[in-house]
Amino acid sequence: MKRLIITRLLQIIPLVIGVIVMNFVLIQMAPGTLLDIMTSEQQITDPAALERMRELYGYDQSPIIQLLKYIYSVFTLDLGYSYRQNAPVLDIILAQLPSTLLLMLVAIGIAVTFGMIAGVIASVKVNTFWDVMISLAAVFFFAAPTFWLGIMLIIVFSVWLGWLPVGGMTTIGVDYGFFGHIWDVIRHLILPALSLGLFYMAIYTRVMRASMLEVFSLDFVRTARAKGLSTTRVIFAHVYRNALLPVVTLLGLQLATVLGGSVVIEAVFSWPGIGSLMLDSVMSRNYPVVLGVFVLSAVVVAFANLLVDIAYYRLDPRIRNR
Amino acid sequence: MTRLTRRFFLTTTAAVSLAAASFAMPGLSLAQVTPKTGGTLVATWGGFEPQAVFVPGGGGSSPLISSTKILEPLLRMDDKAEFVPVLATEVTASDDFTAYDITIRDGVTWHDGEPFTVDDVIYTVNEYWKPMVAGAALSNFTGIEKIDDKTVRMTFSKPTPEFFFKNVLATSLVLPEHIYAGTEIATNPINNTPVGTGPFKFKEWVRGSHIEYDKNEDYWDEGKPYLDGLVLRYWRDAASRAAAMEAGELKLGIFNPIPAPDIDRLTETDDFVATSDGYLGAAWASTIEFNSRNPVMDDPAVRKAILTAIDRALIADVVYFGRARPGTSFVSSVNPIFHNPDLPKYDFDPEKAEEMLDAAGYPIKDGKRFTVELLAAGWFEENGKVGQFVKQNLEDIGIEVNLKVPDRASSIKGIYNDYDFDIALSNHASQVEQVPRQTNYVTTDGIVKGAAFRNANGYSNPEMDALVNAMAVEVDEEKRVEMAHKMQEIIAEDLPITILVEMESTTVHADEVKGIEGRADISADSLSDVWLDD
Repeated sequence: MKRLIITRLLQIIPLVIGVIVMNFVLIQMAPGTLLDIMTSEQQITDPAALERMRELYGYDQSPIIQLLKYIYSVFTLDLGYSYRQNAPVLDIILAQLPSTLLLMLVAIGIAVTFGMIAGVIASVKVNTFWDVMISLAAVFFFAAPTFWLGIMLIIVFSVWLGWLPVGGMTTIGVDYGFFGHIWDVIRHLILPALSLGLFYMAIYTRVMRASMLEVFSLDFVRTARAKGLSTTRVIFAHVYRNALLPVVTLLGLQLATVLGGSVVIEAVFSWPGIGSLMLDSVMSRNYPVVLGVFVLSAVVVAFANLLVDIAYYRLDPRIRNR
Repeated sequence: MTRLTRRFFLTTTAAVSLAAASFAMPGLSLAQVTPKTGGTLVATWGGFEPQAVFVPGGGGSSPLISSTKILEPLLRMDDKAEFVPVLATEVTASDDFTAYDITIRDGVTWHDGEPFTVDDVIYTVNEYWKPMVAGAALSNFTGIEKIDDKTVRMTFSKPTPEFFFKNVLATSLVLPEHIYAGTEIATNPINNTPVGTGPFKFKEWVRGSHIEYDKNEDYWDEGKPYLDGLVLRYWRDAASRAAAMEAGELKLGIFNPIPAPDIDRLTETDDFVATSDGYLGAAWASTIEFNSRNPVMDDPAVRKAILTAIDRALIADVVYFGRARPGTSFVSSVNPIFHNPDLPKYDFDPEKAEEMLDAAGYPIKDGKRFTVELLAAGWFEENGKVGQFVKQNLEDIGIEVNLKVPDRASSIKGIYNDYDFDIALSNHASQVEQVPRQTNYVTTDGIVKGAAFRNANGYSNPEMDALVNAMAVEVDEEKRVEMAHKMQEIIAEDLPITILVEMESTTVHADEVKGIEGRADISADSLSDVWLDD
């Protein structure tokens, strides 16, 4: 167990370097630089001013030097300075990353919880009305684009019914106190988390259902039934636990894509996460911020996968004994 | 000079009926509605969050909107292109127009309590305007000196037209010396929490969501601002902005906040009002320009034929949902001073375009006349669609078109640095004053490799250069107008660049939002006159 954790932690180092190098090369390959964007926006045409900005932004050095300097600074926990935002990259990202993580976690929570429940119900009631309904819903949420679903939810719950806010994370300019604030955030979180979570819920429903059905047909389930165990006990003690493994695997794999999906949802709900920062930074070729976001996300995803592995270890004795 | 436009007609008839009403019912005046104070206005605009609350030197519309509530200019322009005092109470030219005396307003304090003085103006002109904001406009500027505690004098080596000069004062913000002195203005972290003299104080910026402003209780304009607070919310998605307006969470959206089809849907309810006023100072246009470095494109006959082949009315109708109109000159038709209405129009006529190309020596050979690289700048989604229309129109008359719609950074580089196009579809937002920002598109001085939004077409005409240089120092306003008309005639004939369609920018607001009229540029307005009638 300890060895697993240590190896996994060490693996993060080459992963981060790989993420940096790949994204740095990609940004270098894209035409235009941050300098072009900044000088065009500010209408700077004076050659001396251009030269000063070039030095300030570090474009007077070769890309290799820029890259090596950047990797070094990342390992001293310094993600650089963004001249576009006039602030240290780490500050900008840390101000926005928590909101994205909150949205991701709640969305995944919704997806896993309801996905598993629906999957279990569908598999137990296989080929009945309920199974068909759940499968239909799963296909619908899997097929519906998340941004469309988001706008539809806004129209129904915010515009028509007026139950929930259209966007943002808090009600601006009102002080509700500590618990009031938490309730306020929850109210703002419901629609974006649902829009993002329903797509993944559909996947978990399908996987859970298939996995349950597969386990149902295995010998040890027949044995359990033959022993005279109650159906509930067969389902939860034997089938469910064994069917859970593919879901956990999927969870680890999907964390990164949920991050991508949250970028879209943040745009729809004006959720103050890193999505809009990331888009703007890619568009303006602001590589310190782009790399900063990717490095931090890589670390977050790597840690989350480590947690998934540990969960796997606990859930499946066969892995422990290997 | 006055042209009968729809707006002119509406305003004059309104004035006449108002006058009639006040004759009939003495004592009743519609104009005297007392503004109510209080309330917080949540506003947005049709674009994204700014990169910083204040970006020295510009930075695009978003930081312009977020900074101008806090920082103020010396003058502002109203919707009749006349100048109104802000931080300056008086601006007077010397007899020969080589010096201007600026008297600043009394009793103005910065948001941190420091008094606003002439030293702030002197610092701003020397350290900010000259090197960063208005370098080209201030090319003849020789110095600024303190006359007394309330007056400064700016001197010039050549006569400087009054409208031109006042426009510089109206489009450049004044910075506090005590905060910026000795620092690099462009990278000072204070730009994210600016200190100004404006009606609103910076309160908080939640990145990715909103900027919050508090009322400036000590604002110099007694009784203003009417609002207690202002919030600029940012949604990346236009459909969500429309939903937020419908849900009542958003009361004001400037510069095309919601999808065009939603504008009609919302305004049908009477709860919302849409207006195209307030965009005089930033008249947006979709432009077409021809690269003179390509010998085929360098031929004005080819340019005319291409313009004749493009169905601009259809583009305005389909791509812009009718919220645009075909351009008629390089100077937008909303420009109340300099627009020249009597120019060749190049109306859509594909057959005529084919004849023109045949006559110019480009007949169809092996199925085509020639091939062009068409670059549509990807910073507006509409540009890509306009590109498709242009491609189709040109292919109909036998010109093969390779259309590219690169993203923003690539478009800037492709058009303004690499000159990698035969025809470029770009955009500009023009002020009423044409020198130097607009003239930079057609002068030889305007060609600066790598500097965006100026002459990328390589056009160089000594007559044009002389004309623009004369316009920059002509102090007779009538003569300047004549010169501007002449400039547009030359452009209409040589066609290095022109307006393909004039975009009609729209503000949408809830009916209860009052007091947004009378602005030349609503984006740059401090919103001190806005109030909520609920």
